[in-house]
Amino acid sequence: MTLLGLDLDYVACIVLFCVGLYMLVAKSNLIKKVLGLNVMETAVFAFIVTSGMIDGGQEPIVVAGSAPPYTSPIPHAMVLTGIVVAVSVTAVALALIAQIHAHYGTIEVDELKELP
Amino acid sequence: MRTFALALVLVVAATMVIGIAGLPPHGDPDGPVHTHVGARYLEQGVAETGLRNLVTAVLLVYRGFDTFLEVVVIFTALVAVLALPSATRQPPPPRGEGAAASRREADDAVPVSPVVFLVVRLLAPFIAVFALASLYRGHVTPGGGFQSAAIIGAMMIALGLVFGREHAARLVPHGAKAWLQALGPLVFAAVAFVGWRLTGAFLGFPADEAAYALREAMVVVLEVAIAVGGAVILAQLFMALDAPS
Repeated sequence: MTLLGLDLDYVACIVLFCVGLYMLVAKSNLIKKVLGLNVMETAVFAFIVTSGMIDGGQEPIVVAGSAPPYTSPIPHAMVLTGIVVAVSVTAVALALIAQIHAHYGTIEVDELKELP
Repeated sequence: MRTFALALVLVVAATMVIGIAGLPPHGDPDGPVHTHVGARYLEQGVAETGLRNLVTAVLLVYRGFDTFLEVVVIFTALVAVLALPSATRQPPPPRGEGAAASRREADDAVPVSPVVFLVVRLLAPFIAVFALASLYRGHVTPGGGFQSAAIIGAMMIALGLVFGREHAARLVPHGAKAWLQALGPLVFAAVAFVGWRLTGAFLGFPADEAAYALREAMVVVLEVAIAVGGAVILAQLFMALDAPS
């Protein structure tokens, strides 16, 4: 399906990415910034997986009863790697936010800026 | 800040729209993703790796280095989180309104609903079986080590939320905890050296027909290590971040 000559699947990924980017930049709560980062990552993963799809394709598992065309296995494997890195980044970010909260009692960026 | 964010989002969106306008049509069998190395993996993958699930073949055989370092990345994240001084043990100093509000919320912790308690308790064994099935059937159905790790990790986190983390911590044997956390990188390194001895290439897999069983065993060992190590790391990451009430 297309919209103004653009593929709707890709447009959806861009919309999701922009929602995440807006959260990352506009929100002052650090947890919400991490959430925004995760929404952006999800958009990128969806985009990469979508790009590997093929019309009428099956999952790339060659067993009795499956037949070409298969979707490309490379985007799937790359996204699996990306998800693990995203989890790691989120975990370390949340741990640092917990440190900030313990030391300064707030995780709002505008309140943190006013601290001496 | 809002205006700046909106302007930034619009600029980025416009750039990306121009970008996707130049992409090959979605789902086109002649697109570059289907005609270069991807096509070769689909044609030769089963013969070259002996794996029927080609995503696993790409993950463990063709791009094994990538997966090795991926396991190291999540292990490093756990090390980084554990290396930070435990932030949650000392109460935050009273400063600012946000601080007071968040402390009030912590004091008003709601006890777990009996419905949630029962459902998590009831579902946990089935979730565990599903994770094992996803690992065991990973070669002929979508699934495998990482998926299984995510499911077991989620189950352990759900149990930790409902029963308290002291209870959930007992799911991981205390003496073996350090070894289980490092299981992924350790087993990957071991299999990589076995491959080196056998084929002369680091993380190489013996390709000839005679070594079929050995190749199969190497893949199974890797998948189990990824599943168990990954699940333990996910649960430990959560436990390390969980604030005691």
